[in-house]
Amino acid sequence: MSNPVKGSKSWPRQLLRLAFVLAAALGCGFILTAMVSAEPVKAYGALLTGAWPDFGWSEDGSFTARRITRLGSLIEDATTLTLVGLAVAIPFRARQFSMGADGQLFLGALAAAAVSLHVSGPSILVIPAACLAAMTIGFLFGLFPGILKARFDANEIVTTLMLNVIAVQLYRLAITDWMRDPKGGFITTPPLPDAATLTSLLMRTNVSWMALVAICAAIGAWLLIKRTTIGYEITVVGENPKFAAQVGIPVAKATALSMAVGGLFSGLAGFHISNGLLKALPVDLPPGLGFEGIVVALLARNNPLAIPLVAILYAYLRVGAQVMERSSDVTREMVLIIQAFIILFVVAERFGPTFIVNWLGKRALKERTA
Amino acid sequence: MNIELIGWGTFFATLLAAILRASAPIILPALGGLVSDLAGSVNVALEGIMLIAAFFGVLASAYSAIWFPTVPTWVHPWVGLVAGLSGGVLVAGLLAVFHLELGADLIVAGIGINILAAGLTVFLLVSITGDKGSTATLTSFALPCLHIPFVDHIPVLGTVLNGDGFAGHNIIVYVSLLAAPALAWLLYRTRFGLRLRAVGENRDAALAAGVSVKRMQYAAMLLSGVLASLGGIFLGMGYLTLFQADMTGGRGFLALAAVFLGGRRPLGTFIAAVVFGASTVFAARLGAYEIPSQVVFMLPPALTIIALVFFNIQRRRKIERRVSRVAATLPQAG
Repeated sequence: MSNPVKGSKSWPRQLLRLAFVLAAALGCGFILTAMVSAEPVKAYGALLTGAWPDFGWSEDGSFTARRITRLGSLIEDATTLTLVGLAVAIPFRARQFSMGADGQLFLGALAAAAVSLHVSGPSILVIPAACLAAMTIGFLFGLFPGILKARFDANEIVTTLMLNVIAVQLYRLAITDWMRDPKGGFITTPPLPDAATLTSLLMRTNVSWMALVAICAAIGAWLLIKRTTIGYEITVVGENPKFAAQVGIPVAKATALSMAVGGLFSGLAGFHISNGLLKALPVDLPPGLGFEGIVVALLARNNPLAIPLVAILYAYLRVGAQVMERSSDVTREMVLIIQAFIILFVVAERFGPTFIVNWLGKRALKERTA
Repeated sequence: MNIELIGWGTFFATLLAAILRASAPIILPALGGLVSDLAGSVNVALEGIMLIAAFFGVLASAYSAIWFPTVPTWVHPWVGLVAGLSGGVLVAGLLAVFHLELGADLIVAGIGINILAAGLTVFLLVSITGDKGSTATLTSFALPCLHIPFVDHIPVLGTVLNGDGFAGHNIIVYVSLLAAPALAWLLYRTRFGLRLRAVGENRDAALAAGVSVKRMQYAAMLLSGVLASLGGIFLGMGYLTLFQADMTGGRGFLALAAVFLGGRRPLGTFIAAVVFGASTVFAARLGAYEIPSQVVFMLPPALTIIALVFFNIQRRRKIERRVSRVAATLPQAG
């Protein structure tokens, strides 16, 4: 089995393939849309351009920007996606299929909210404390399946999926039984105090400095992978574990740490969701963000520096999908279908222009000889 | 007979009947996961296959009634069964093609299939019914229940065999009970099963022995698709009589875990799946007591992780013992 993770091809060819995959996935989505929608072109137009804010000059010459909230939700979404993308990419580099990003994110959000609600003080103290709590929980919740894999060879897909169930139930238990706002109409925590929430940088949106933190996190992850010993060990273990063991690399340590570092980024994403976006935790967070992280990591070929760019691209599609849902008869779940096609086409290594040409050529040859 | 005893007996019998009902949609995909796992390909897409099968099963049974109103009613659920099976097997086949022909990583492609199923079912649901939640606006049909005659009046046995309201268990519940022994026979008593396991054990050796590895992998994946589809169909046409968005609710993943919890054996997988099914029943019933249902839901996954570690320690010890035994029989060197 080949590693879905490595990018041995040259840059231009990779970009070309990426463009081909995106076009193919969007094309498949369009065919489906055309089959059910009365106005497929309009719907797809909304999907592809909906995320753009309207810049322009009004008649009296002043600069105006409309639909700026869409830009806001794009940046918010891209921030979360960058962090969960990193959370998936680091274990992927060690060839660990950690599915635990969801659970780590839930618990990170829970820890951040708990600290924010129970620690009072100036925001310069509370916010780092909440952030640290979220990252620690994420780290530990990644380290645990990592140790189980490294020490006991317990399949990481199964353990992380099971830990997700445990994390989600723990989250629900904590919100309903321990942290519930008695005054709230539905099950939710009290709103986080102002000192703990992140200030908005853009009017009427929740864009905060977490967007910059996410970019720094990507750079940090790149430095970790490319410029440190443990990063090198993680990469070698992912590429060839037998070779790594032969040359004396601590395989178990690298495996466990890759999953723990992934958890750290998930926890940070949880902090962003709780203190930056929602500012009070409901009993149900949107599940499946961990799986979105897989798309981002795959498209970026696990290169941390490419992850923010892919996250923006993907957030663009997601915001566009919401616009499409509002302005046409196609639901936003269309973007899930496109996402699935992207995953399938990216990992299908032999899928590409050459494969289709060869396949058609072979068929033509067969027909000629027959 | 003692009245109190009968009361307790009936209570446990009702519980057992409920556990049977809740376990069936986990047993079937778990056995599906077992087949593909023994052939060396982990099927992460069980969840997606179930969802697709449930959706097409429910929809086909509803539209069969709309399009062919003259056909007797009992036909519609069977049309749904065929449609659901075709849909699920098609998706399993898609996964197999991507893995075997296009070189896609099986696990990542499986995740892709799950996302595709989640998106496609809701997308089509909205396009067809205009409702994002369920097919409540359509009249769909359930597969028939099998009522065992003459046992209704036997106190405890009647409740176990025919359920709480003596309506009988759905036919797929019986299929799920029969599937485990049938699969054990297929895997361990037939040439097909031997070859399938050989492919999973050592691909190269199987290839050298003349087994068509690719064909076996296709067969395992499609069989896995059939079993998972049956589980999904039961959810939409037995457990409930409609399709809901994300109605599998992680059962496919539980099924995958049941394969590992059961030590990759048919009986073990079956028991593990029943444990998972029972925990959902207990979680619902314990809500009346002081124990929060979330804690009950946490137990099976925790149990799975512990069992996984335990099995791996045991397997390692077994290998060590075998090595030392072989070493003892060898002539002492030096």
